[in-house]
Parts: sequence; C-alpha cells; structure tokens
Amino acid sequence: MRETLFMVFSLFTIAAASGVVLSRNPVYSAFSLILSFFGLSGLYLLWGSTFMAMIQILIYTGAIVVLFVFVVMLLNLQTVRENSPNLLFLVGAAAAVWLFSLMILRVLTRAIPNKAVEIPTDQLRAISKLLFTRYLWPFEVLSLFLLVMIVAIFAITRTQEIPQGGEKK
Amino acid sequence: MNFPLSMTYWSHFVSVAMFALGLLGFLLRKNTIVVLMCIELMLNAVNLLLIETSMRTNTPEGIILVVFVVTVAAAEVAVGLGIVLNLYRMKGTVNLDHFKSLQG
Repeated sequence: MRETLFMVFSLFTIAAASGVVLSRNPVYSAFSLILSFFGLSGLYLLWGSTFMAMIQILIYTGAIVVLFVFVVMLLNLQTVRENSPNLLFLVGAAAAVWLFSLMILRVLTRAIPNKAVEIPTDQLRAISKLLFTRYLWPFEVLSLFLLVMIVAIFAITRTQEIPQGGEKK
Repeated sequence: MNFPLSMTYWSHFVSVAMFALGLLGFLLRKNTIVVLMCIELMLNAVNLLLIETSMRTNTPEGIILVVFVVTVAAAEVAVGLGIVLNLYRMKGTVNLDHFKSLQG
C-alpha cells in the first residue's frame, strides 16, 4: 500500500517537474512547481518525516513560489522567445542526458536492500536537540547569513540610484 | 528486481530525474525566472535524497542539513529575483541572451 502510494506520488512529482521545464509560460512553470512541491511533500510524509512535509509546503509553496509568481506578475512578461536548437542547445541537452544516465545507472546497479524498511516516526525532539547543541554555531551563522541577505536585497532593489535606460544601445 | 520496487529505489529515481530535469531547464531555458525555478528543482532533488537517507538510517543529522538547505534556497531565490527585477528595469527583458555586459 505504502509502496503503491509512493509510486503514484513519485510519478506525479516527476510529471510536475517536467511541466516546470517544458511549459512556455512562466506562470504555468510556477504552478507546476507548486504541484511538484506538493508531490515531494507527500513523499516526505510517506517516509515518515512529517516535519519536513510541513516545512516543504509552508516555506517552498507558501514563500518561494509566491515570490516567483509575484515577480512574474510584477514584470508583466511576454513569453520569452526560446532559441531554436543550435549547437550550444544540443550540448546542454547532451550534458543533462549524460548526467542523468550516469546517475540512473549508479542507482540501478547499487545494492540497495529491496525490501520494506522500518519507517521511524519523526524524530522532532532529536532534531531540535541537535540543532541547539551540536549544530548551534551553524544555526547562528545561518541567522546572521539571513540578516546579511535581507540587507543585500534592500541594497540591490533600491530604486533611487539606478539610472533609467541603463546602458546605451 | 521484483516489481513493486522499494521506496528507496523510487526515492533515488525521483531524485535523479528531478535533478536531471532541473539541469536540463537550467541549461536550455532562456527565461531567467524559469532558470531560477530549475535551480529550486535541483535543490529539492538533493533534499529528497537527504531525507530518504536520514529516515532510512534513522539519523536526524540529514534533516538538519535539509533545514539549512531550505534556508539558503530561500535567501538565494530572494536575491536572484531582486537581481532579475533590476535587470528588467535596466534592459526591459529577462531573456538571458540579452545579458552580455560582462562578456569580453
């Protein structure tokens, strides 16, 4: 039962992720991204990690994709003209396919125990204990990093000093 | 391999497929916003692998790493979209082919 559900969520996630890459309209890409994140959240839930499933929906769908949609709406974009396949395009596609085949070969030939594993319940207490004892310094550095990012974004998106028209044509 | 492959196999497959799709979009798409979305896809592929390993071996360190990755991803998207906004203000487009000021 759990394996079947997992398979369904996996295929759903991959289909939504390909929708992100393939759709022409960036708004459709953003909504496919939302669907893909919901599928991933289901996968996390099936692995027993309820905390990360919740974080996935709250942060990714609730904050990051909303930011994407907001910027897409703000810029009032026409659809960007994609290139016709040239040499560089083919090289990029070949690199992605090559990497995919390498990784999938590695996954398929590895000796992963092909049996149902014991799914642990969420170790939220263990996570928080580790986060505030052994990983306290990375945690604090991360909060400082977030502060720096806030200041940087304010500095970047200030409107006064940006010359209208930019560089000369 | 008997057919209902285990959840570990499926996790690895989804992770690899999502990473490859993200890489494909990152290399091929010309819309800067979609390129940022593809970076998100790649980060999420890594997150799935981390959570799978962490839950399978019952080690909470993986989840902590994922929390860090999510935070950095959020910051990265905010800065990236700020840069995209500025570029749009200066150039009037988000097509990556038009951003050639740093090209020699």
